[in-house]
Amino acid sequence: MRHGAFPGQTGLLRLLTLTFAAAVCVTAGLFFIDLIGGNRPGWLDWVRTILLVLTGFWLVWGGTTGIIGAFAPTPKARGDQADPEGRTAVLVPIYNEDPVETFARIAAMNRQIVKRGLAAKFHFAILSDTTSLEVAAEEANAFESLMHEPDAPGRIFYRRRERNIGRKAGNIEDFIARSGGAYDYAIILDADSLMEAGTMVAMARAMDLDEKLGLLQTVPVVIGARTAFGRMMAFSSAYYSKYFSRGAALLQGNQGPYWGHNAIVRMRAFAACCGLPVLSGKPPYGGHILSHDYVEAALLARGGWKVVVDPELGGSYEQGPENLIEYAKRDRRWCQGNLQHRRLLAAPGLKFWSRFTFLQGIMAYMASPLWLLLLVASLAASLVPDSGGDRWGATPWAIGLGVVVTLLLPKFAILVRGALDGTNRAFGGWRVIPSVLGEILLSTVIAPALLAFQSRAVFQILFGFDGGWPATERDARAVSLRTAFEASWWICVVAIGAIAFMTLAGPAFLPWLLPVAAPALLAPVIIWASSQGEDDAVSSWLYCAPSERAPSPIIGEAQAILAHWRAHDPVGMTELSALGVHAPA
Amino acid sequence: MKHPSFQPFDGLPHAPMAMPKQTLERPQMLGSFFRAFLLVWQRG
Repeated sequence: MRHGAFPGQTGLLRLLTLTFAAAVCVTAGLFFIDLIGGNRPGWLDWVRTILLVLTGFWLVWGGTTGIIGAFAPTPKARGDQADPEGRTAVLVPIYNEDPVETFARIAAMNRQIVKRGLAAKFHFAILSDTTSLEVAAEEANAFESLMHEPDAPGRIFYRRRERNIGRKAGNIEDFIARSGGAYDYAIILDADSLMEAGTMVAMARAMDLDEKLGLLQTVPVVIGARTAFGRMMAFSSAYYSKYFSRGAALLQGNQGPYWGHNAIVRMRAFAACCGLPVLSGKPPYGGHILSHDYVEAALLARGGWKVVVDPELGGSYEQGPENLIEYAKRDRRWCQGNLQHRRLLAAPGLKFWSRFTFLQGIMAYMASPLWLLLLVASLAASLVPDSGGDRWGATPWAIGLGVVVTLLLPKFAILVRGALDGTNRAFGGWRVIPSVLGEILLSTVIAPALLAFQSRAVFQILFGFDGGWPATERDARAVSLRTAFEASWWICVVAIGAIAFMTLAGPAFLPWLLPVAAPALLAPVIIWASSQGEDDAVSSWLYCAPSERAPSPIIGEAQAILAHWRAHDPVGMTELSALGVHAPA
Repeated sequence: MKHPSFQPFDGLPHAPMAMPKQTLERPQMLGSFFRAFLLVWQRG
């Protein structure tokens, strides 16, 4: 079965989109160089223009993907609800997370599977790489509770590795090496994943129906967020992601993504193609592959298997960071993994799109320091006298308007599409408008801090050191102003330096710096304020998502099981919490 | 409280499946030549 409405659709769409993004960026570059250097640009003008074109390309690319998704017809979800023919192992790799929460979610998923009479078709395997002995003891006790669930013995398994060889990828490989031959498919989840039985069935059926399908990725929706930051991210994932993924799916064709969880793989395809080697050399570029998921997707595509994302498959959930510090910590790990993919750009036999995906992942992080470099170069340019070249008449307003349109147009296009296809109704009808505006406002305000954190992460990885993070509580939600300041004081210092420099060197340009410098100066306050709102989150109408307005039964079931287990304290959680057991960051 | 190394994988089907290591790096001809002939003190 080919991908697309006609042969070559994916290739044509890729070509058109790449050409469009390149054309927009080159045009913006021409406007920009006319503005700053006229017909006599200096070397600094060229540097600034190249930086603008480089970074702008990925902005336009992302925006175009969203617009394509907003205007694309709604495809039918893969699979159906017939009983699957193949047998599926639901793999849950865990690493020092709260086992009671994770195991309660597994219990909820198992109850739905058993209720549908599919116990023989779906087994669960909890693959622990936990290093903390206290958390390992909690896991063993929580597993005992799990064994009281329907049909659990002989269907739900647990093991803990003493040595975490190969990290998460090695954890799954260890399972396949032992028992992979007993299953046709594997649904891979994270510790915070939750998936409806109907979704699992549809995924297994999609595998049954298309024997060339190697991997099917769902688009998980973030649930359980309570802070302003967390709920904004949850709203984004619930509202925008479906459309962005729909656009991305059209461009990716059969070389789609794998995000490491909430996906199903064909066991024999995964085993044959995804044995990851240890890269030669030392970290950060050598050693074990950190962001293994992108690589596994590329290897499956290299092996001739279809790798597909299906945004229409609902019922797939995960949890996300609740504050900017936790988000930045996670981003730092992903950054290291993505930068390591530099080594794999020229790997033998990969499809063109897999290489492009690696490049896209690298640029997702490299864009931040390049933007920062553009700002620094622009500050430095205020010291250089104007070359006096003739101008066509490009204005800074035109450039600024172009950036704003690139960032906002996809979101407004999705808002319009949501009104037409009924999505907005699930988000509270007209109330989605303030949520979209609020998301735009909050994401704009946190952008400079995020840019600073990402730039620091790239710098730390390239130069091989880690500045560390202030300690946050396990399951941290709200952060104190003090913690926020400890994490971001250096951003304030940089902002003060930039404002002072511009005030002295080129006060006329100061208004153009302030939209970035002012939020950077207020970074600690923004981090602190955006982590608040836990108490009144559920009743809040802003960022309201369908998972709050009309939660899926499995969300309620998982919460009920968790509450029951906690109330009966079957695993000594009170005792362990009192000991101050923390998961390493 | 159970011992931390508790591993109730019992009952899980014993059905090993090979996962051969993939090649992701191209042999670096120039680098290999350099190491083999010029950096003689690094041999072995």
